[in-house]
Amino acid sequence: MFLLRLTKRLLLMLAVIFTAASLNFLLPKLAPKDPIETKLLELTETGGALTDMKGLVEAYRAKFGLDRPLAEQYLSYIKDTASLDLGQSIAFYPARVTDLVGRALPWTIGLLLTSTLIAFALGTVLGALLAWEGAPRLLGLLAPGVMVLAALPYYLLGLVLIYVFAFSWRLLPLGGGFEMTAIPGLRWDFVLDILRHSLLPAASIVLASVGTWALAMRGMMVTVQGEDYMAYAEANGLSVQRRFFSYGLRNALLPQVTGLALHIGYIAAGSVLVERVFQYPGLGNLLFAAIQQNDYFVIYGVVFILVVMIAVLMLLVDMLYPLLDPRVRR
Amino acid sequence: MSVLEIDNLHVGYELAAGTLSAVRDLSLSLAAGERLGLVGESGSGKTTTALAVMGLLRAPGRVLGGQIRLDGQDLVGLDDRAFAALRLARVAYVPQGAMNALNPVLRVSDSITHALRDHGAPADANRIADLLAQVGLGADVARRFPHELSGGMKQRVCIAIAISLGPRLIIADEPTSALDVVTQKQVMATLRQAQDRLGSAMILIGHDMGLMAQCVDRVAVMRDGLLVEEGPVRRVFHAPEAPYTAELIRSVPVIGQDRRAGTAAPAAAADLLRFDGVEMRYGKSLFGPPPAPALHKLDLVLPDAPRILSIVGQSGSGKTTIGSIALGLLAPSAGRVLWRGQPLAATPPQTFRREVQAVFQDPYSTFNPFYRVAHALSVPLRRFGLATGDAARALMEESCRAVGLDPSLLDRFAHQLSGGQRQRLMVARALMLRPRLLVADEPVSMVDASMRAAILDLLVDLRDRYGISVLYITHDLATAWRVGDDILVLERGHVVEQGDPDQVLRAPSHQYTRLLLDSIPMPDPDRPWSTAA
Repeated sequence: MFLLRLTKRLLLMLAVIFTAASLNFLLPKLAPKDPIETKLLELTETGGALTDMKGLVEAYRAKFGLDRPLAEQYLSYIKDTASLDLGQSIAFYPARVTDLVGRALPWTIGLLLTSTLIAFALGTVLGALLAWEGAPRLLGLLAPGVMVLAALPYYLLGLVLIYVFAFSWRLLPLGGGFEMTAIPGLRWDFVLDILRHSLLPAASIVLASVGTWALAMRGMMVTVQGEDYMAYAEANGLSVQRRFFSYGLRNALLPQVTGLALHIGYIAAGSVLVERVFQYPGLGNLLFAAIQQNDYFVIYGVVFILVVMIAVLMLLVDMLYPLLDPRVRR
Repeated sequence: MSVLEIDNLHVGYELAAGTLSAVRDLSLSLAAGERLGLVGESGSGKTTTALAVMGLLRAPGRVLGGQIRLDGQDLVGLDDRAFAALRLARVAYVPQGAMNALNPVLRVSDSITHALRDHGAPADANRIADLLAQVGLGADVARRFPHELSGGMKQRVCIAIAISLGPRLIIADEPTSALDVVTQKQVMATLRQAQDRLGSAMILIGHDMGLMAQCVDRVAVMRDGLLVEEGPVRRVFHAPEAPYTAELIRSVPVIGQDRRAGTAAPAAAADLLRFDGVEMRYGKSLFGPPPAPALHKLDLVLPDAPRILSIVGQSGSGKTTIGSIALGLLAPSAGRVLWRGQPLAATPPQTFRREVQAVFQDPYSTFNPFYRVAHALSVPLRRFGLATGDAARALMEESCRAVGLDPSLLDRFAHQLSGGQRQRLMVARALMLRPRLLVADEPVSMVDASMRAAILDLLVDLRDRYGISVLYITHDLATAWRVGDDILVLERGHVVEQGDPDQVLRAPSHQYTRLLLDSIPMPDPDRPWSTAA
């Protein structure tokens, strides 16, 4: 039965990726901006006089296959994507999109995944404590703060953090992934440099999303505490830790994990702005730049990778969920 | 020496408006090995008393006076830690809702292990298997999750946990109210054996006088927080001192007494509802054999004359499935359902939905908590275009009076009403629409004993005064006998017996019917439950 479920789920995932990839191809085509012209205009500004602008545009179009009918472009796009050939960037020609994405991906995964998981864990425990009757009184004071944080968008918080910690107090760098002067390598000072640079973007993601998790968890925990098994656990004299973790939090966690799966897409979208604000060399920043320049192939590449990432993560959560909840195991 | 002594206990809820007493001047004592029945309706203070003994009262409720001594030690004023150590180890609790008492994400073995470990007792596979064996469960149950167990098995697991540390006192709070009679009898036998082996005292909380007569040595009757009567079970049942006790004993329906049958249906009556070879299978399996049917080729006829048909059986017998099919909520997997001679599928829903009404088991979840009762009742009136505005109000008030409710209740919210009042409102709601058939699925199983008779009488009223037929679905043979004109006994989707209740229940021909009859706890200590458990 497990294999059947896995197969079904995998097919569904492929369908999602295919649909997303198709939309991804079509939507930028609707924009009235022409990437070739943009690129050439940029070249003329930097490289001096050019004659026969029209011919050049045609030549470039032909080079990237943009002169072919849409259906033909679509087919070759799907074919290339399926073989993981994401083409070449228009703006940074001849850089390959795979390389650009490959360079940005570790930054995004490192920053986003870590900070999301930290925020999830913190928020879940905090939310559970906020609802727990025996929790220290002081925690109650956190509730309003948590609610304010839940209402703030990532990037706004990011700007505030930059202003306070990087600009006014000069404790942390303004942006970027590492110092321009640093020499990349697996050495302590470089690792520390990366950590220093990731602190503010990570903090803005964690702070802005911890509240959302905490509020959702608090609601679930209140419901769970009304369940018969909580009263029964208390009537059996089980220890407070046991009742909090194995009975309360453990059961309230189930909808929270579903929430995490649903939230993954939202997180990826929000992080684009965070990376932009912090000039972080991840996928978000790359995507932003590509959209500005109508760099189709980079847009396709980044969005495609994001879609694949989200789909894979959701599949993972889906397949792990039965481990958490025996009732859905079949 | 007494295991438990309660002296002048006073428990109250300290509210802004003043103190609300839940239990007053309660004195009881209980010796080792003794079984005490604590009887009363919801709000009588019986559960509050148990919570006070275990230190589980929640603010603003607290013990305002008196003493609770366990083996001579006063429990009033102990701190949380001391109470936590005392629970299970010295006072064990068997919960009412064993359905949901076990943590759904834990295996049975983990639930037992937690209970043992948190009291510093060793827990290994042998110990767990031994405990399960003591309550008649196999060692394989340890690996299962609660959703993989039946209601009776879950209750047994709870008993295994309760006896795990050899407590001095076991408090069982309506341990079998969610179980059918056959399972109830088996579970009570297990509980009593376990308690006898340990020699501990037991308090059985409940409102079923029949169960009390069969299970306890002494009975204490509570009402509105006060002890009404207390004494040995034989004395209380044979010569109750308080009129309230006598009333409680009388309110238990007994087969052979007080039947409220209607007039016989005219022989030539057309069919109101007819099941022709109806079969029902739940779920589909991709591989392997098809699932076992919940209903097996069922034929059933309800004539177009006011009759009450009682359908009885254990949980899982398929009786609720019949109700759902009659209501058109489920389509049968095979066979035909005819409503007034027409296939159900061909009947216009607008007519059918009005003509067939329902009263469900749980009066607490049938009303939308956000609306006043009047609003909830007006919805069907508008839906079927029967009345709006003042006309609707008049109709609702008339219906309320017909079921013996004060029409002012219409302006309340459902949570402000008792279970009995809500169940009557459900009947009023159905009555308003002038249906031809009412499907009542266990309408009294969650209602206090004294209200049961009144609600059953309402069903009889519907038949006699309003000419409405009733499909009365229940696991309680005595009430089925009391109101039924016909009875149908179901076992695992098969009809084992069918006909006049007088014949079926007083001279049963099928052994399953006899098993059901033998499992009924009689409100008479001298007529013991037959020993075959």
